[in-house]
Amino acid sequence: MTSSFSAASLEASFDVLVVGAGHAGTEAAVAAARAGATVGLVTSALETIGQMSCNPAIGGVAKGTVVREVDALGGLMGRATDLAMLQFRMLNQGKGPAVWAPRAQCDRGLYRRAVRTLLEEHAAIHTIQGTVARLLFDGERVAGLETLEGRRFGARAVVLTTGTFGRGKLHIGTDTQIAGGRAGEAASTHLGQQLDAAGLTTLRFKTGTPPRIDGRSVRYDGLVVQPSEVEEHDWSWSYFWDAPRRDGERTRHPAQLPCFITYLEADGKALIERHIGESAMYGGAIASQGPRYCPSVEDKVVKFPHAERHQLFLEPEGHDTTELYVNGLSTSLPAPVQLAVLRSVPGLEEVRVTRAGYAIEYDYYPPTQLDATLQSRAIAGLWFAGQVNGTTGYEEAAGQGVVAGLNAARWVHEREPIILGRETSYIGVLVDDLVTRGVDEPYRLFTSRSEFRLTVRQDNALARLAPIGESLSLYDARERACIDAREAAVREARALAERENITPAQADPLLAGTGTAPLPHAVRIAEVAKRQGVSLGALFTAAGVGRQLAEDVVISAELELKYASYLDKERRAAERLRAMGGLRLPADFEYAALRTLSMEARQKLTARRPETMAQAASIPGVTPSDLQNLVIELERRRRAAAELAG
Amino acid sequence: MTAPGGRPADGLPPGGLPAGSLPSGEDTIVALATPPGRGALALLRLSGPRALDVLRALTGRVSFAPRMATHTRLVHPVTRAPLDDALVTWFPAPRSFTGEDVAELSVHGGVAVSTAVLGACLAAGARPAEPGEFTRRALLGGKLDLLQAEAIADLIDARSQALHRAALEQLDGGLSRRIAALRQECLALEALLAYDIDFPEEDDGPVSPLRIEGAVDALLASLDALLATAPAVPMLRDGAIVVLAGAPNAGKSSLLNALSGEARALVTDVPGTTRDAIEVLLDTPGVPVRLVDTAGLRETTDAVERLGIEVSARWLARAHAVLACGETAAAVHEAAHVVRGMLPAARADVPVLGVLTKQDDARGAGADGTLLRTSAERGTGLAELLSAVQQELGARYGVVEPEVPRLTRERHQAAVRASREELAAFREAWAGGAGVPALIAAVHVRAAVAALDEVIGSVSLEDVLDRLFGEFCVGK
Repeated sequence: MTSSFSAASLEASFDVLVVGAGHAGTEAAVAAARAGATVGLVTSALETIGQMSCNPAIGGVAKGTVVREVDALGGLMGRATDLAMLQFRMLNQGKGPAVWAPRAQCDRGLYRRAVRTLLEEHAAIHTIQGTVARLLFDGERVAGLETLEGRRFGARAVVLTTGTFGRGKLHIGTDTQIAGGRAGEAASTHLGQQLDAAGLTTLRFKTGTPPRIDGRSVRYDGLVVQPSEVEEHDWSWSYFWDAPRRDGERTRHPAQLPCFITYLEADGKALIERHIGESAMYGGAIASQGPRYCPSVEDKVVKFPHAERHQLFLEPEGHDTTELYVNGLSTSLPAPVQLAVLRSVPGLEEVRVTRAGYAIEYDYYPPTQLDATLQSRAIAGLWFAGQVNGTTGYEEAAGQGVVAGLNAARWVHEREPIILGRETSYIGVLVDDLVTRGVDEPYRLFTSRSEFRLTVRQDNALARLAPIGESLSLYDARERACIDAREAAVREARALAERENITPAQADPLLAGTGTAPLPHAVRIAEVAKRQGVSLGALFTAAGVGRQLAEDVVISAELELKYASYLDKERRAAERLRAMGGLRLPADFEYAALRTLSMEARQKLTARRPETMAQAASIPGVTPSDLQNLVIELERRRRAAAELAG
Repeated sequence: MTAPGGRPADGLPPGGLPAGSLPSGEDTIVALATPPGRGALALLRLSGPRALDVLRALTGRVSFAPRMATHTRLVHPVTRAPLDDALVTWFPAPRSFTGEDVAELSVHGGVAVSTAVLGACLAAGARPAEPGEFTRRALLGGKLDLLQAEAIADLIDARSQALHRAALEQLDGGLSRRIAALRQECLALEALLAYDIDFPEEDDGPVSPLRIEGAVDALLASLDALLATAPAVPMLRDGAIVVLAGAPNAGKSSLLNALSGEARALVTDVPGTTRDAIEVLLDTPGVPVRLVDTAGLRETTDAVERLGIEVSARWLARAHAVLACGETAAAVHEAAHVVRGMLPAARADVPVLGVLTKQDDARGAGADGTLLRTSAERGTGLAELLSAVQQELGARYGVVEPEVPRLTRERHQAAVRASREELAAFREAWAGGAGVPALIAAVHVRAAVAALDEVIGSVSLEDVLDRLFGEFCVGK
């Protein structure tokens, strides 16, 4: 790589430059700023900072927990959602608070504006409009970037969060292909060519998005109305942190709007079957892998031909428009077919399409090329976060942004990297999966990906991550005081339950509804709270104690009480993982020479170079026998070393 | 967690192997590799850095062609007393069973010779191997994985064709495949539970509790079936103990000898283990049979002696079947009656077969009512008797099919049992949807998978997702 660096021509210099201002980029910028870095945030259009490219929803199962984790580390996503959501649902509500998953629909415009406002509250962040033409290098090391407009900026670290813009190509049917990073926005090609030349591996993924329709053309009578469930719910701990945005006891949320449910019926399915060859995906125009969990409607029809019908959710795009997002109908069929399919749907007989659905193919950089902080192993000072790493989802992007931003700042300041463990957070699971396992389809988080889904919950994100944020000095004094107050409240709730008794007269009316036995005499509240179907909050109320405690505080305390034995079981597993995972594999380990390993394991271990046994264990193709032989080899070396020493 | 491999390999805890579990790496070990006292030849094996020195001391030769058998005389290294003519084979490291220098000495069978040669090896600087130490060294030498090591131990141990086959089956991955299949079933259950949580708004709607319950019950049944293979293992490994009972001169010894000729007899009178009986191991198809004759021995109780029936109460307590022998139907019934009276309550259902002995006339073999006619002299009825014994053993202890993967080792049994217990705990906690929320109780399902992984493989959470996407149309 030729040196392209000349300090004299720079317009400005930063500790960290972030390329892209989507959900990864904005979080990376804020995290780096909180960690004490000066930040330049470069995007091709400042108006699109915080743009939601696809579904206008934030959160959901596992993802909602990530939003809370990002928030606990001082990120934007939870706060912006509080300021922009027009519908809220707590998913899995019937399955107990341990698996509750918050999910919000947002007003796209409000969300963008909220992100930009929150971003600009950080004095250390400078926003820059420009499309990156190339990175600048000082020797082997990244030193800044130059935009197509000819502006040059210096930085010691660069975080790339270019989403689907890397040589993005939109497909509608088999004949229509448009270069672009999002509908209506240009793709970025120059940077990709430079990274290719630098020897980085680039692969292609595809994803899709459904058509948007004019809400005024929908016949709503007969559709199932899905009202907002919990208008008062707060996403962000800013309930404590940002008093100015509060309205009395609560964050000021925008007015709530309903969603509507309708169905793709047999005639719509038949239409899709008939035109399947004209779909970009099935007609051969796209070969790259798409996400299984977010299938196109073509996929649904082909793979589940016997399904009677498929649900469609009509979701409002915002307060300032009647446009609706047709969730469940992601498609790359030709526009006329899309229209015909839509009009086969009850309620959409006379629908007008505002934007056609499309599939998009884009570059991603296999994340096994990154270290555990998301820094490129090949190019010092270069970080990757978000969809460029082969993930999908705003929340996954945001989580990576935080990790990349924090670590870029710490690297610049020559501090120890910060790695979130699988047992501390879904962000930890996400990053660990990416850099050790890699991806073979666009990656999304599920609770199934975590070994610690009971310990790692949305209600305790602050408790899990605030100590880390504290050690990194991410918070100001007011934030610290609020965190301490929240933790003290949870402790108080537990202590109260352990200390106070509840009488049969107080408890039995509650217990009658749960099918459990009445109390023989006054019993400690904690004991009664262990019963299934009995909520700690209701017990406190019945016993007339703990009125000062917030609901979410009581829920956190309750979960720890009620599922103590399960949490213990999971924590013991975590201990074992730590113990085994703690075995470090030397960086110069010659796997190829270790003939007790399978050929596949030798190749994969040589390619991935895991740092620990835990990472080695998570690489597909590395068998238990391989792991066992690795343990034996490590033991052999340890003994040999001990013999030499003694 | 399974963890993805989130536990140490079996018996190898993180942070180091337990002190004392490893060879020092300096010792040269020696042991008899064939069972004591059996067969025409005995094999002694040496492993370790001084194996060649020991070999030189015993033979007076300096060099040996690698992996070629050499015929040579063995002498005591100190007294120079000749010990035996032997075939010795030299396997220099690393191309040997353990990965160390190994020598194998094939000497004449019988306790005296092998003991003398063993003593000579010790005198030349080797030390006696601990049980399983060769296999352990092979494991550490990277020559084996754990399952293979166990299978080899079983092969070496295998006294019978049946166990030999079972051991081969394990070496071939039969048990691994069976356990892998059960693990897949566990993962499918986990996927059902995860689907319900991860995809709350999909077309298919929530998973019905009946479906989850069905999956749990099917899995419990499969695990029980696999666990049920364990009790037959000692019988497969050591043979089913079949005790001869009858009056003195009822023809028991002749029958034993005749049956030894009919089937291949592997063991005769192993010293030190079965002093109270004459015992042969019949390598029959199906379950190997340990035929035990207590004739003429003084272990019988006074009461029994008064009844004039010879049988050892000690052996009866361990018998899998009894042959009640006599020349006449009345004598057979008398013997059977006495035996039934002596069987402990817990073994009251042990099959007792009536056998007519000395049926040397022209009527030949065959059944006489419920009694089997045999002639040791003419060799008739013996095959029929052996097959009747197999049938009775099958009826009483389950049909033993050697090719079926079975839990041959305690470690496997413990893991499968642990897995079963976790699933039962899940079932109880979840209580058909009325108890602990499914995903919380699913901690047990993950532990069940991890327990099976103890035997074969590390959990990959990706597997759960694969199950999930194959079965459900997800895509909100």
